Amino acid sequence: MTHMRVLLAAGVLGVVVAATAALAAAGPLDGAGSKVLNCAACHGAAGQSRSDAMPILAGAHPVYFKKAIQDYASGKRLSPEMEPYAKQVLVLGLDEIAAYFAAQRREPSRVKLDAAAVERGRTASTQCAPCHGPAGKGDADKGVPDIGGQPPGYLRNQLLLFKAERRSPGDEAVTKMKALLKAVPDDTLGDLAAYYSSLR
Amino acid sequence: MTITRRRFLQGSAAALAAAGCATAKTAGDLQPQSGRRVVVVGGGWGGATAAKYVRLADPSIEVILLEPNDRFVSCPFSNLVLSGVRPLSSLTFGYGDLRRNHGVTIVRAEATAIEPETKRVRVGEGYYTYDRLVVAPGVEFQWEQVEGLPQAKDTVLHAWKAGPQTTALAKQIQSMSDGGVFVISIPPVAYRCPPGPYERICQVAWYLKNTRPKSKVIVLDANENIVSKTALFRGVWQASYPNIDYRPRSRVVKVDPSTRTLTTEFGDAVTYDVVNLIPPQRAGTIAVQAGLVGDDKRWCQVDHVTYESVKHRNVHVVGDSTIGIPAPKSGNVANAMGKIAAVNIVNLLNGRPPSPLPPGNTCYSWINDREAIAVVNAYRIDNGKVVQIEQKLTPGPSAIYGQQAVGWATSIWSDILG
Repeated sequence: MTHMRVLLAAGVLGVVVAATAALAAAGPLDGAGSKVLNCAACHGAAGQSRSDAMPILAGAHPVYFKKAIQDYASGKRLSPEMEPYAKQVLVLGLDEIAAYFAAQRREPSRVKLDAAAVERGRTASTQCAPCHGPAGKGDADKGVPDIGGQPPGYLRNQLLLFKAERRSPGDEAVTKMKALLKAVPDDTLGDLAAYYSSLR
Repeated sequence: MTITRRRFLQGSAAALAAAGCATAKTAGDLQPQSGRRVVVVGGGWGGATAAKYVRLADPSIEVILLEPNDRFVSCPFSNLVLSGVRPLSSLTFGYGDLRRNHGVTIVRAEATAIEPETKRVRVGEGYYTYDRLVVAPGVEFQWEQVEGLPQAKDTVLHAWKAGPQTTALAKQIQSMSDGGVFVISIPPVAYRCPPGPYERICQVAWYLKNTRPKSKVIVLDANENIVSKTALFRGVWQASYPNIDYRPRSRVVKVDPSTRTLTTEFGDAVTYDVVNLIPPQRAGTIAVQAGLVGDDKRWCQVDHVTYESVKHRNVHVVGDSTIGIPAPKSGNVANAMGKIAAVNIVNLLNGRPPSPLPPGNTCYSWINDREAIAVVNAYRIDNGKVVQIEQKLTPGPSAIYGQQAVGWATSIWSDILG
């Protein structure tokens, strides 16, 4: 009987030790953290892009993120770089990866901005605010992205693609935006990019 | 960051050992193991990444990175040094953040041998023990494949490992006279960075077109055709670079610096004013000596999920030294392999099964000073093997891809070393 108790106690202790070890071992690269390793090459650790051209994925609304990945994978949103990776994300688990990036707190872009361009962009942004909100936070449920603090180069390139009808051709969700942008000069697109990049 | 006394002493001992100081231990066990340890041989795109990510995945595991160079010089973007678009200093980084941010012990020394049976890596007269070893020695040149090359190594430049040779070749190009001939020799596959030679041709042709309009670039390619991004490069050359004379199936077998002549296997002699001979390649020497290479005596076969060598247990190989995974020998793939190997080494050391994580490849090539083209490959794991999901090319060159290339480089350099 005593022997049995010792065995049981040892068993319980073993389970506790194993559970503690598992907890201690849980780190940033477990689970979804390991599935986003390839993203880091362009989008930075945990999606905190530090370059001018690549968007920050940290803090992305899951609805927007999932639409973006699905559109890239289907070729609806044109990107030779993202199409193969979007297909890889679908294989690895879209919901899990979208939830991972949504859970990361966005650190705004540190790319240096021209203060005058930011001010001009602020003035020009009134037509964007109805959808993107006064602080550029967007609308998670409607799939309107949070663009505040994104790198200016990325924002500018996307605006140029919208204007040239090369971003998601035929996508009704962005028809209104394209119509608005047609009348906006390219320089102003740069100003808008600087303004939204400056938002915190 | 707090430096513990033990770590300080360990670091000092290693530094002294590396510097060959008489007072430090230079023989025997150079740093006795007190816990679980991973040793990484080579601090390039694969090795430095693996060192960092083992520590990220499990900071209780000690990591020692053996690298003889004190600075990391990026091969990607180094072709821009040849055209004067970028200085080499903009591609040169220290290893300090790996130590400061991640606690990697960096030993500036070259690993000289691997002893898989006793799990030791030799450095001179001494050794480091390991639980798991990552071998990332990159490529070594097969000098002997080109007659005359072993004697002319210092003057007939490869510039295929970014560093002093890159700057030296740039100087040779800059000193060419108008009408001078630049000849580049491309080795047969497999070699490091399949599109690299063709990007280099674009850069040199762009530079000569702008500064020496009577000069030309002769390409002696050992391969049947342009190896990577074939239609894109051909399109760019046809549209922009009439100064390129491309000759496929032209394997160079001899170089004679006294007459400035290259000879192909069919006996064609080509004279040059400046030559760039990229020699045939194999895995880094330590991998060959350690018996990690296969029957081809050139490259290392590995498990597609753990990157463990098929030859030796507990030894993992990442980067350009590997073969068999259907992904190119690119910096991005080496970086991906480094991360995946690190995660799975940590899984194995913690008694967990390996995670089936696939690599990816993003590869930009500059076609002038501001426009780039790209190829992207994504993979999945199917029954334990890496299988390509899709390869995609840019429709043509664009300045936007040039901006994305800068974004990629900024990000991945930080991913490796930051």
